[in-house]
Amino acid sequence: MTLLVDVFTVLTVAAGIVFFVAGTAGLIRFPDTSSRLHALTKADHLGLGLVVLGLLPRAESLGGVLRLVAIWGLVLASSAAAGPMLARLARRGARGG
Amino acid sequence: MAAAALVRFALLLTLWVALAGDGWKDLAPGVAAAALGTWWSLRLLPPAPLRVHPAALAGLVLRFPWQALTAGVQVARLALDPRRRPEPKHVTWAPSLPPGRARDAFLAYASLLPGTLPAGDAPDGSIVIHAIAGAGSAAAAMNEEEARFARAFGLDD
Repeated sequence: MTLLVDVFTVLTVAAGIVFFVAGTAGLIRFPDTSSRLHALTKADHLGLGLVVLGLLPRAESLGGVLRLVAIWGLVLASSAAAGPMLARLARRGARGG
Repeated sequence: MAAAALVRFALLLTLWVALAGDGWKDLAPGVAAAALGTWWSLRLLPPAPLRVHPAALAGLVLRFPWQALTAGVQVARLALDPRRRPEPKHVTWAPSLPPGRARDAFLAYASLLPGTLPAGDAPDGSIVIHAIAGAGSAAAAMNEEEARFARAFGLDD
């Protein structure tokens, strides 16, 4: 059972890291600010979600589970608030306004 | 107002306890922070009646991990596959929700969904959407998600 949990954690955290790498690659490769925002939000959200999912079975208490889920939730909430604002500013900047 | 304040205070304090633990030493600043957060949230977002449809809301919440997976995989493929390039386009989309908090909340939610990132208002009152994989189905996807969102929060009655 412990081995299964270890394998689950290693696989999901490794997958999470792949998505963080993808987000960083998008930040470098994508052609415009808003596309880079897609990379920094969507790929990184999934990466963080997978890291959190992989760590959940290792939490020592319900508090630890709540803490991990709350971290993902807070990152999602801050991205949802900031992403559209930055995209609006980027569009204005591109129009020269 | 008092009931809304109590609910928000309880939610903020729960979040604090989830993050900082429930030790007495940690609880005092948590109560102060939750009280300050409640006061500020009531100023920024006065309570308004919401007719939540639990089944539709549960559907929206349970669907979100799949949406996050789809969005992340789509962006990761564009970023990591050298044969693919993003085709970013700005498209205008006419929302059904009237201007206000419900629309703002939906646009924030939509920024987490696959392929779409709201990027402000167009001069004609519609919304500009930044679509990373081409204009194709962005408006249709927004319509579909807006209907789900409105149903979950009883905004379509």
